[in-house]
Amino acid sequence: MAEEILEFLVIGFVLGGIYALFAVGITLIFGVLDVINVAHGEFFTLGGYTAFVTIVALNLPPAASLPLALAVTFVLGLAVYPGLISPLQERLGRRASGPLFLVLTLGLSTVMQNTMLAIAGGEYLTVPPLVRGSVDLKFTFVSNQRVIIFVVAVTALVALFLFLRWHRQGAAIRAVMQNPDAAQAVGIPLPAIFTLTIGLGCGLAGLGGALIAPLFNVYPAVGFSLTLKAFAITILGGLGNVLGALIASFVISNVEALSVLVIPSEWSNAIAFGLMILVLLVRPQGLLGRRRP
Amino acid sequence: MKVTGRRFAIVLLAALAAALPLAISHPFLLHIATQALIWALLATSWDLLSGHTGQISFGHAGFFAIGAYAAAIASARLGVSSWAGMGFACATTALVGLIVGFPALRLRGHYLALVTLGFGEIVGLVATNWQDLTGGPFGLHDYGTFSGLPVDLMAQRQISYLIVLAVSVATMLLLWWLCRRTDAGPAFHAIREDPILAESLGIDTTSYKLLAFTLSAAAAGLSGSLYAYYIQLVSPTIGSAGNSALVIGMAVFGGIGTTWGPFVGALLLYGLIELLRFVGVVYNLIAVGLVMVVFVIFVPRGLAGLRLNPQRRKLRADALRRQGG
Repeated sequence: MAEEILEFLVIGFVLGGIYALFAVGITLIFGVLDVINVAHGEFFTLGGYTAFVTIVALNLPPAASLPLALAVTFVLGLAVYPGLISPLQERLGRRASGPLFLVLTLGLSTVMQNTMLAIAGGEYLTVPPLVRGSVDLKFTFVSNQRVIIFVVAVTALVALFLFLRWHRQGAAIRAVMQNPDAAQAVGIPLPAIFTLTIGLGCGLAGLGGALIAPLFNVYPAVGFSLTLKAFAITILGGLGNVLGALIASFVISNVEALSVLVIPSEWSNAIAFGLMILVLLVRPQGLLGRRRP
Repeated sequence: MKVTGRRFAIVLLAALAAALPLAISHPFLLHIATQALIWALLATSWDLLSGHTGQISFGHAGFFAIGAYAAAIASARLGVSSWAGMGFACATTALVGLIVGFPALRLRGHYLALVTLGFGEIVGLVATNWQDLTGGPFGLHDYGTFSGLPVDLMAQRQISYLIVLAVSVATMLLLWWLCRRTDAGPAFHAIREDPILAESLGIDTTSYKLLAFTLSAAAAGLSGSLYAYYIQLVSPTIGSAGNSALVIGMAVFGGIGTTWGPFVGALLLYGLIELLRFVGVVYNLIAVGLVMVVFVIFVPRGLAGLRLNPQRRKLRADALRRQGG
C-alpha cells in the first residue's frame, strides 16, 4: 500500500509541474490585467505542436523542442495585448468590462483551436520522448521523460519567481499587480508590462505543452480541458495569487493521482471542479488569498 | 403612431421568414431551420441571466443537456408523451437553476463565470459516467419524438418545425415581455449595473437573481427538451463547454441584453455555420470565434444595436428627451 501511494505521488508531482506551469501563467495574467485568459490552453496546445514539428517534421534534436516551443508561444503571446486586449480596453474606457474580456479570449481560443484543427487535422499525434529509458526508484520505475518534465518545470518556475523577485521588469510586474494606477504614476509603462505578462504566461503554457507532448498525444483540443482544470486550480489558490496557484497545482494533481486508489478513475476529473465549487462557497478568496476590497 | 407601423412590418417580416422553410419544404432547409430555432431559444435564455441580469453563465450548455436528458429519460423510462416530457424537463432544470443560483448569489464576475463553467463540466462528467441513467458516452436514443406526429416523413418534419417554432418564439416573447413590461426587467438591469445600489433602492436582489437563474435555466432546459425530441439522440457532448461558448457567441453576435437580439443572432449565426459547412467543417468554428472577437471589440451592442437609419435614431432620442425620459 505504502509503495502504491508513493508511486501515485510521483505521478502526482510530475503532473503538478505541468499544472503549475499552466496555472501560474493564468493567475499572473489575471493579477496584472484583471483578464482571465480562456485561450491559455491553446498556447499549451501550440507548444505541443511546436514540439511535434521540431522533433518529427524538422528532425531537429529533441532538446531543441523546449526552447522553440517557449519562444513561439512567447512571441505569439506578446501579440495578444496590443492586438486584442488593448483595443477593447480603449473602447471601454473606464466603464465596467463585465464578461467582455472573457468572451474576447473565448473567441481567441475558438479561433486558435480550430485553426490548429484546420492545419494539423484532428489526429492524435505522437511525439517521441526527449530521452528514452527510466530511473529505478526501488519502489517504482519513473520514465526519464517524467523526470525531465519535473526538473524543467521546477527550473522554469524557480526562474520565474527569481525574475519576479529580483529583476527590474519583474518588480514592475508585481507593482502593477498591486496597484496599476500607482505603478503608472511612478513611471512604469503599463502597456509594455501588460504585453510582457501575457507573453510570459503564454510562454510558460507553451513550454508545458511541449514537455507533456510525449506523454499525452497532441491534438487540437488537448489544451482546452486543461484550461478548465487550471481555472479550478487558480480559484483554489486565490485568483491573482501566484504562489497560491503553484501550491494548489500540486495539491490538485496529487489528490487526483491518489484518488485512483479510492474512487473510479473516470471521476478523477470531477475532483478539481468539486474542490473549486467547495472553495468558492467556503473560502472565496482561495486557500492563500486575501480578501479583495 | 409610427411605432405601430414599424412593429406591424417587423411581425409581418418575421411571419414570412418563419413560413419560408415551410413553403420551400426542402428537408435539409427545414432541418437547419428547426435546429437554428432550438439554438435561438438557448441563446435567449442565456441572455436573460447574463445579458439582462449580468450574471455571466459559462455553462449554459449544462442546463441544455439536463433538459435534454430529463425529457429523454422521462419518455424512455416512464413512457410519457413529449408534452409531459417537456414540462418535466422545464421543472427539472428550473430546480437545478435554483440550486446553482444559491451559491452564485455570493459570487460575482469572474468567479461566477468559473463556477458555471465547472457546473457545465460536472454535468458532462455525470452524463458520461452515470451509465445506468444516462446510457454513458453513447447517450440515449429510441425514446421517441414529438407525440402525435403524422406518418408521412415530410409532414413529420414540417410539424416538428412548427412545434419548435411555436415553443421557441412563444418563450422568447414571454421573456421579452418579462423584461420590458414587468417590474422584473428594471430590477434585472439594476442588478446588472450595480447590485449594491439596487439593494439600497429596495430591490430584493436575492429573489430577482434567483428568479433569473430559475427562469433562464428552465428556458434552456426547454430548448434542450426540444432538441431531445427533434434529434432523438442525446449524448454527453451536447453539454460541452464548446456549446456554451457557441451560445455566448450567438448572443454577442445578436446583441446581449435585448432578448430578441440573441434570438435573431443565433438564427443567423447558425445559418452561417451551416453554410460554411460547404466550405469545410473547421472553418465555421473559426468564423464563430472571429465573430466573437470582432463583435466584442467593434460592435459591442451586436446586430440589435445596429441602426440602418441613424437619423431616425436621433429623432427617437430627441423625442425621448422631450418626454423627459
